[in-house]
Amino acid sequence: MAMEKNANKYKVNYGEPVGMLAAQSVGEPGTQMILRTFHYAGIEATIATSGLPRIVELVDVKKKPATPITYVYFNSDIEKNFEKSDAMSKKISEIKVSSLVKRVVENFSKSTVKLVLDKQALAAEELTPNQVAQKIAKLMSVETEVNEGNILIKLHTKSLKEIRVTGVRIMKKVIQGIEDAGKALIQQSKDGSFYVITAGSNISEVMKLDGVDKSRTYTNDVFAMYKLFGIEAARNTLANELRKTLEEQKISVDDRHLLLVADAMTYSGTIKGVGRHGLSGQKNSVFARAAYEETVKHLVNAALFSEVDPMKGVTENILVGKQIPIGTGAVKLAIKKEDIKKVKSGE
Amino acid sequence: MHAEVIDHIKFGIVSPEEIKHMSVAKLTVPDTYNEDGYPIDGGLLDQRLGVIDPGLVCKTCGGRAKTCPGHFGHIELVRPVIHSEFAKVLRMLLNATCMTCHRILLDDKQIDEMKKVVSEESEANGENHHTVPGKMAKRSGNKCPHCGSQQPKIHFSAPTYFTVGDKRLKPDEIRDLLAKVSDDDLRLLNIDPKVSRPEWLIISSLLVPPVNVRPSITLESGERSEDDLTHKLVDIMRIGQRLEQNINAGAPQIIIDDLWELLQYHVTAYFNNETSGIPPARHRSGRALKTIAQRLKGKEGRFRYNLSGKRVNYSARTVISVDPYLDIDEVGVPIEIASKLTVPFYVTAWNIEHAKELLKRNEYPSVVNMISKDGKRKRVIDANREDILKELTVGSILERQVIDGDIALFNRQPSLHRISIMAHRIRVLPGKTFRINYCTTTPYNADFDGDEMNLHVPQTLEAQAEARYLMEVQYQIFSPRDGAAVITNSEDGISGLFQLTKDETKLEYDETAYLLGIAGIYEMPKPGKDGKYNGKDIFSMLLPKDLNYEEDTVYGPFKIKNGKLLEGVITKDTYGRDNELSVEIAKNYGYEELRKFIFVSSKLADAYVTLSGVTVGVKEYSINKHMEDERMKILNATLVKVNELIKSYKEGKLEALIGQTLRESLERMIIAELNMARSKAGETLASNEDSTNSAVEMARSGSRGSVLNLEQMSMFLGQQATLSGGRIKRGYYTGRLLPHIKQRDIGPSARGFIITNYYMGLSPADLFMHAVGSRGSEVYKALLTGRSGYLYRRLSNALQDYYVTEDDSVRDVNNNIIQTVYGGDAINPVNVKFVELEK
Repeated sequence: MAMEKNANKYKVNYGEPVGMLAAQSVGEPGTQMILRTFHYAGIEATIATSGLPRIVELVDVKKKPATPITYVYFNSDIEKNFEKSDAMSKKISEIKVSSLVKRVVENFSKSTVKLVLDKQALAAEELTPNQVAQKIAKLMSVETEVNEGNILIKLHTKSLKEIRVTGVRIMKKVIQGIEDAGKALIQQSKDGSFYVITAGSNISEVMKLDGVDKSRTYTNDVFAMYKLFGIEAARNTLANELRKTLEEQKISVDDRHLLLVADAMTYSGTIKGVGRHGLSGQKNSVFARAAYEETVKHLVNAALFSEVDPMKGVTENILVGKQIPIGTGAVKLAIKKEDIKKVKSGE
Repeated sequence: MHAEVIDHIKFGIVSPEEIKHMSVAKLTVPDTYNEDGYPIDGGLLDQRLGVIDPGLVCKTCGGRAKTCPGHFGHIELVRPVIHSEFAKVLRMLLNATCMTCHRILLDDKQIDEMKKVVSEESEANGENHHTVPGKMAKRSGNKCPHCGSQQPKIHFSAPTYFTVGDKRLKPDEIRDLLAKVSDDDLRLLNIDPKVSRPEWLIISSLLVPPVNVRPSITLESGERSEDDLTHKLVDIMRIGQRLEQNINAGAPQIIIDDLWELLQYHVTAYFNNETSGIPPARHRSGRALKTIAQRLKGKEGRFRYNLSGKRVNYSARTVISVDPYLDIDEVGVPIEIASKLTVPFYVTAWNIEHAKELLKRNEYPSVVNMISKDGKRKRVIDANREDILKELTVGSILERQVIDGDIALFNRQPSLHRISIMAHRIRVLPGKTFRINYCTTTPYNADFDGDEMNLHVPQTLEAQAEARYLMEVQYQIFSPRDGAAVITNSEDGISGLFQLTKDETKLEYDETAYLLGIAGIYEMPKPGKDGKYNGKDIFSMLLPKDLNYEEDTVYGPFKIKNGKLLEGVITKDTYGRDNELSVEIAKNYGYEELRKFIFVSSKLADAYVTLSGVTVGVKEYSINKHMEDERMKILNATLVKVNELIKSYKEGKLEALIGQTLRESLERMIIAELNMARSKAGETLASNEDSTNSAVEMARSGSRGSVLNLEQMSMFLGQQATLSGGRIKRGYYTGRLLPHIKQRDIGPSARGFIITNYYMGLSPADLFMHAVGSRGSEVYKALLTGRSGYLYRRLSNALQDYYVTEDDSVRDVNNNIIQTVYGGDAINPVNVKFVELEK
């Protein structure tokens, strides 16, 4: 009961400019973010983008983050067992031909491409030259031949361009694992169960694997989450990632601020960035847009399409010197001016 | 208050008729002043366009420089030109309409669809629809669905050149084409033909802005210097005249076309001198001219500099300095400033006597101005004091100098969060600086090394009330960012309380009386059996009598029972930013009490520090044999580990981290190892139990300095990082940093790991590494501030319209719902620590 009574006392006030509060709470600590993050905890922290660049990346909604990471969890029968987990990890981990090849030798007179294999890398992935050759033959529909541990690819063309292009294309082919899933690394959580983190965000393909726990697997790629799960998932990912990044820097920001940023970016049903192509660029007010960025463009378009500025927002009202309709300026008289006279005269 | 309200503003294009209507003069002479220094009639500074020189009278309105608002004129162009900013729009329109029958290139079915789209759009967005349906109406087939004629391809090359086939499409031809497009078809393209007909985008009479918009400056030498816009307009008129002469003389077409294009260039540059595809027009000195677009855009443009950036009166700025004897919600104002700043005094029947008294005064605090009932402002001087006294009636307003207790807003830039501006009570003091209590420096991010701050005196009663009840310092103690206390004791304020509340602190009677006297407490605590006073008991005198508080800290339990501190010491943890003691006091006794507590305890702390003293000397940083051994142990262990890593890398035994090459992984592992050494050194130092070491004591209490500082002074500096966060690696071509390092050495000391400390002194090589690191972090800081400033600007611009409505939902000013309940529970983030305490 006491809690309930006091909850009212701690509520936000009418008109509270919570948007501005959120912006300040995320923006103000920006200068405090530090260069050196002393991350000893976990390897994922060492490879992921962090600090201000990550925040910028998140609010800009980059289609591809600089360091996508997918956290793959397994069903309970697999996650306790290292061998089974490791097998899953192998299924996911993306191995490209390029990571197995030391160099490529083209022979234009014989129309062949020779791949000199890196034996160490091959051994590390537990693959044999024959397996790789067969896989390449299948993927590219070409003839292959294994010769002294190297692969010879025979082509039926004399075109120099085609031979070279084939050589380049082969390097990009995925021999094993899921395309764009990235290299996977098995991790052990505190309770002893195993999970996998990968340096990619092809989460929809990862989810198709049997044994993957679909309820826990996620990625730090907001856009991938949006495409797979929809807007609410994108919103949650956004807020979580913001919080994680700030926490890493030991900056405490209330969740409400981060949620508002995430909601502002997603309430329309699609993800919008906060920049000139997103929220700020799509404001209703011509003046607000012109005062932000690309002044001339907005004025020119406003003139051509005879736009009307409804003069309701903060920027517009500051421009013309009116009180802003937020905070104490949001309060209006409940009674109409005409009616005041009636009240006075006792009607 | 707001009699005239701007309800909305509609944009449009000025039609040729409107230009004629607006214009008061047709300008024909491409010059400004004649030999006598008077504006030429029909010239660009024609007196009908308004006047800026004092003494001249406007020929249109009869006003003088200060009263004449300025009037538009116009230039007739012999050949029309394209408005370059709209050239892309023209291309869209030309592509969307038929060259023969001038209908929109959509068949009837598509037209119906378009109508639907346009009406749906306008329903959803009110009058503003942003989709440009012109994209949809492009020449899909090559035939017009209405007349069936073949549509030629129109080629556009920026900024203003149109061709059909290999023939140039001249501006007048474009105008003729577009003029024939029907109003209904334009509406389909989202263009309102009443406000903006496309043919108006071809300019044949150019509107000339009033002189006030482009004033000329008289230099000291008496020479006149014209505004950039005037220069450009002169260019336009000159070329116009030459073009006309050539046409009249029957010059060959090619010459006329060349001049026409030149005219187009000048008009383009007049609108936007940064149009891509044209060389910017330059001033004689080589500086690019600032024309219309340049005036509006960017940080120094009209919008951001003049319209969004407001300038105010009733404000002051000076250097700040400390005054621990000022209450935390006060600001010390120099008397010089106090006698300049005024605040209105509204004369009523109840205070008219007071007003008269005030008016009679001729030294501070006195009345500066009187505003009589009819709104006339008169300066009060000794000569007219008697007259003004007679004029004084109920309803007049006096402007009196500010006095102690007046409310003022105090601000330090950059104003990154709302607590960068807080309301303080004025306290008039001698001296020339603003003074604040040091407890309020955190929210302003201020220090006293020369910082300046601004003071604003709110003038209306509403503003004063808002300042006093919403913005005053005690209401800002808790940050809206995470609810933590930002206004607290710090530095000496912590040191003093830490020393005072230690178990062994016992004070004599007179010392105790002195301390409490400074804190403003005139009671004595109960002495111990030895007649001495316990430090904890002295501190307890400040606490509310029924306060109960318990907390587990790193220094053991902290316990307050019935207003008595029983166990524990005050540190930054118990009484710093994240402290819950402040929350507890504010929750139970209110912000006023908390404000008093912070103030009184800081005074007590300062007094005790003055009494006991905290000294730091070389001895604080010299380490004993044991510590030296520890240091060597850590360094040796680290070296061994790093060498192992390098060895296993060279043997190919090292396993790579995900997404990284083997070499990168090795770097990561080495850095982790080296950082580990640093933190171990820190732990070793922190375990020093010697309470006579002031430096350790300060770091421990959190008042000043950290273990990191100690580490650097008495253990070792550790790894010097570069911009990218890695170890330093650039240098000679084999990757050596300095000539004495072996080639391909990737060991710690070859890559900027410093094993010496400030006490020992740095070797020349170490000094070099250290300088590399310091420079790097300086550069990084500069980079970071720029980036984070831009992030902040974008965030605040995107979110500034959101506020909480009556039903706790978050909406923007157009009533779009962002969140149905703010944060899910409608709790104000300022209060989160209170809520946590309830749980």
